[in-house]
Amino acid sequence: MPRYELTLIVKAMQRPETAATLKRTVEALMERGAVVRALESLGERALPYKISKHNVRHTRGGYFLVDFYSSPKMLPAFLDHLKRDVDVVRSTVLRNEEKETGSARCCVREPPSAK
Amino acid sequence: MFHVVRSPAPLFRLLSPRGGVLVEAVRGRKSRNDPKAKSKADRVKLPPRIDPEEMVVLKERYEQYDLVVRALRAEFKQEIVRRRYENEVGSRAEERAKREAEEHRALMEWNDRENLRLRQLRVIRIQKQVEEEAKKRAEVVSLREEKRQSVLREKEKEILQLQEEVKTFITTENLEQRIEEALDNPKNYNFAIDKEGRIVKRTALP
Repeated sequence: MPRYELTLIVKAMQRPETAATLKRTVEALMERGAVVRALESLGERALPYKISKHNVRHTRGGYFLVDFYSSPKMLPAFLDHLKRDVDVVRSTVLRNEEKETGSARCCVREPPSAK
Repeated sequence: MFHVVRSPAPLFRLLSPRGGVLVEAVRGRKSRNDPKAKSKADRVKLPPRIDPEEMVVLKERYEQYDLVVRALRAEFKQEIVRRRYENEVGSRAEERAKREAEEHRALMEWNDRENLRLRQLRVIRIQKQVEEEAKKRAEVVSLREEKRQSVLREKEKEILQLQEEVKTFITTENLEQRIEEALDNPKNYNFAIDKEGRIVKRTALP
């Protein structure tokens, strides 16, 4: 199964409500047969620009990352479901490759000397 | 009647003696059946006059000469015939046959020896080739086997790793706990880097 990463921006809320939103989201994922690997928070921050969603203008939001494995077929349905969630400001699902070593070669091999 | 002929056919020129011209009997204005001329009506053609004594002497000499030449000719002819006869049938024939048989045998022997030698070389060569091939095939097989083994080992390692990681996955039971944990430890992936390559991970959140 391919591995995906869901970047979630939720409305700036109190802690129990945020927890409830996250719980809802993760359960929606697991319902559709995904295996959730990890859940990370990037804190509550100011959004880079004001976002209007569901008739509300957001200035701050909570950023969360969800690693999961799932079938690609259920992703459109899931994104659709997230669009309808009032508390979710923005969601993006990206492919997360399993291999870390090997092909990715950085141009900056070693730190350049005194320049 | 005897005309000097500048013959149109150049072949005659070639056969004629150097500097000479060809004289041949050519009918001039008259053909065969034309009547004789009046001035030539009484002409009697006589053969050349011969001297009888001269004739006798000449005849004798010619007979002797002829005899000798004929004898020589016959002699030479017979020699040739005899030589040919002896070559095919006769004393020389046997020697020749023997010699040829000998040569034939020698050559056949040489041929056989050569064949034997070459065959031995060939056998050795083919053996070596077969061995080489077998070795190469064995090598290929062993290489493939090794590759397969290594791939298998890789996969096993991955599986084991995954099995370890499975323990950290989120399930319905530890969902709430994990949410609390996540909310308590916000992670920050931002960093700054300068041209010297120094990384700074401590950035302020807006």
